[in-house]
Amino acid sequence: MVPFLQEMKSRLGSNDDFFIQRVFLLDKPVVIMGLSTLIDVVNTKSALLEYIEQSFPSGKTVEEVIKAMSTTPHIEINEAISAITKGKLIIYFEVTKQRVIVDPIMKLLNRSIESPTNENVFQGSMSSFTEDIDTNIGIARKEFNSRRLVVKSYYTGSLQKKRLSLLYDEERVDRKLVNQVIDRIENNQDKEINHIQNLTKVMGFNSMELIPKFNTTELPQEAANSIRKGRVVLFIDRIPFALVLPSLLWDMFALENDKNLPKPIMISLRLLRVVGVLATLIMPGLYVALVSVNPEVLRIELALSIAQSRDGVPYPALIEIIMMLVVLELVIEASIRLPRSIGPTITMVGGIILGQAVVAAQLVSNLLIIILAATTIANSTVVGVQNSLSIRLFKYLIVVLASIYGVLGILGGMVLVSAYLAGLTTFGVSYLYINPAERRRDS
Amino acid sequence: MLKTITRMLIIPCMAGMLSGCWDNKDINHRSLPITMGVSMVGETYKVILLIPEPVERTTKVRIVYGIGKTITEAVDHISRDMESDIDMLHMKVVVFDKPSAEKGMTDSISGFMRARDISPKAVVVICDEDIDHFFKRTKQTMEPSGTTLYNYFEKNAGWSPEVALTRIWQVYRSIYSFTRDVAIPVVKSGNDTMMQHLGSAIIKNGRMVGQISSEETLLFNAFNGESAHGKIEVMQHSSVLIVSNTMSHESKVVNNQMYMTSRINLNVSILETSSHVTNDSIKKELDSTLTDRCNALLAKIQSSEADILGLGQFFRNKIPRAELKNWRTEYLPRLKMDFSVRTVIQNEGNLKTPRRK
Repeated sequence: MVPFLQEMKSRLGSNDDFFIQRVFLLDKPVVIMGLSTLIDVVNTKSALLEYIEQSFPSGKTVEEVIKAMSTTPHIEINEAISAITKGKLIIYFEVTKQRVIVDPIMKLLNRSIESPTNENVFQGSMSSFTEDIDTNIGIARKEFNSRRLVVKSYYTGSLQKKRLSLLYDEERVDRKLVNQVIDRIENNQDKEINHIQNLTKVMGFNSMELIPKFNTTELPQEAANSIRKGRVVLFIDRIPFALVLPSLLWDMFALENDKNLPKPIMISLRLLRVVGVLATLIMPGLYVALVSVNPEVLRIELALSIAQSRDGVPYPALIEIIMMLVVLELVIEASIRLPRSIGPTITMVGGIILGQAVVAAQLVSNLLIIILAATTIANSTVVGVQNSLSIRLFKYLIVVLASIYGVLGILGGMVLVSAYLAGLTTFGVSYLYINPAERRRDS
Repeated sequence: MLKTITRMLIIPCMAGMLSGCWDNKDINHRSLPITMGVSMVGETYKVILLIPEPVERTTKVRIVYGIGKTITEAVDHISRDMESDIDMLHMKVVVFDKPSAEKGMTDSISGFMRARDISPKAVVVICDEDIDHFFKRTKQTMEPSGTTLYNYFEKNAGWSPEVALTRIWQVYRSIYSFTRDVAIPVVKSGNDTMMQHLGSAIIKNGRMVGQISSEETLLFNAFNGESAHGKIEVMQHSSVLIVSNTMSHESKVVNNQMYMTSRINLNVSILETSSHVTNDSIKKELDSTLTDRCNALLAKIQSSEADILGLGQFFRNKIPRAELKNWRTEYLPRLKMDFSVRTVIQNEGNLKTPRRK
């Protein structure tokens, strides 16, 4: 056997899905190889034969066919192997010892475009990004169909080649931002990118930041809107959402889809989300502050009824609220983890625990249950789950400060949180900008 | 890295230690008295606290007594004997009995202001009967909700414009002011209702020096901008509702003689009337009734030499500073005041048919 084939066999032969077949093209023997788990072999073969018959009228020699099909004159063995792992087909012509990389008919390994699962859309377009990067870019192109859309792709990683695509609006985008992003990617092409933390490292961001530097969205219209506003959208192969750079505070409150509603309604919906964030941050802290540090702020009627509801509760307010908040976080986490068929059980059991049993056992006051429920509901008004996570974390800071300094502590906590948010920048763009593109135009 | 982590750990610890947060008592471990009674027995104070306590879906009212050389000491005695901490910040009403009010409340009031454990917004009340009896009666009527006494003085609850509403800080201010005194409501426990309003005490330098009636208190309130809105004025044959009132004052000094012109503008609406009364006669009667009342009030003020209407405020820029301290004794009794009432009958009630003129 020829050395190329032998080499290929020894390198990939341990994989059971590696196939080598001999077929005849234009009466000349050729060998095709690839991974049967990625390639639909039967259909590929027939398509290949059909293609050659149709495209090359009789009388053509194999050499001419090879010339027409191959892009590179000579293919190294490593190149061939990486092409195979990507799912390409290699054709080896026994007579001339030439090899060609061909796009085969792939097996369908991607889900179709479905409605979003992590973000719900209210009266808006329902398609969402999938794992396949080409599909995602395609959807993005459909959403923002303009010649100004630029798509740039990179392969990074030494162990495996991961595709990374950069989409932006040529005219609106901040050139400095794009150049910085491209520089970062090009300088770190040997690094693996399997998840967002990898990408954070590649981009050179601090990995301990609480607020994600990428605004992740599953919705094509949101991604397209970001591009339109001069931001950069990143796609990573196998990650089913768009990563928008830079991420901004306003993303937490505004959804492009809101604009499908009348303006006053849009404004009130967004205000509602702001209220939701504030309520999440303040309410648990306020409970602790009012119950244990500053009860004089309450009206006497309320003070009495709170005192009554806390009668017999053994723990101080801080322990009480942290205990219940943790139980609640557990419920939320469990309902994400569990399969959908068991999910409702948790909701029910959690509801009974939180709603009735804990109060009946006088472990916590029933006002606390109201506060907790309101907090959890309010927390869900935020746009984007990743944003609600950081808000969820901030509220503990405020609870602890409130337990020490009371109402003043809440103020202090809010100042700290605001200062933290104000201190965040992504490639020089502050987290608090509402529309960075407009700022550039002004200056 | 280790350094940062150590720092991050130490800072929260210091926050905990330095802030004194272990002193925080949860709300169910605090007693929240809403009324305090103060009475002087000889040289010692007797303090009565009225504490609503939530018990099994209702509120029980608890009365506790304490005796001490100072009010603080008395409260301390109570606190020592009670199972929970006494938190005076919810205090809404401070009741003095009449003898102690006549003796002088200056020390107690400045004590409240200084110690800051009672909100300066608490209402000061004088009770015209034995304070023990007053509290016992109050307890009986207060039982289900526990806050009735305080609702009596709440503007959004049971307060009516005939009741003076004077806070601790206002009493404190009057003690040190040359030109302004206050009136404090005088009450006693009622038979069917919780309290019976007897009028207001004229307080001069923290001492009770006289008393005015409920009707005169209405004028006092109107003068102080506590609108007389909603007041039903009963006359011989009709009653009107004061919808709004404004006052304008003019003051002048001629030859060391003080003159003041006050105009009361009333917008009223007729509630009840008999058919033969005309609008003009109502206006006239209202005018004369109010003018008489104002003059009577002024006479009382002048005789007690306590400026509860704050008339001296209008002369602060007309009398030399050095002389100002003599306002109550020298100038106020000589003040000549001219009241005039202007009434606008805004509508004649909700009747559509026109009244016969």
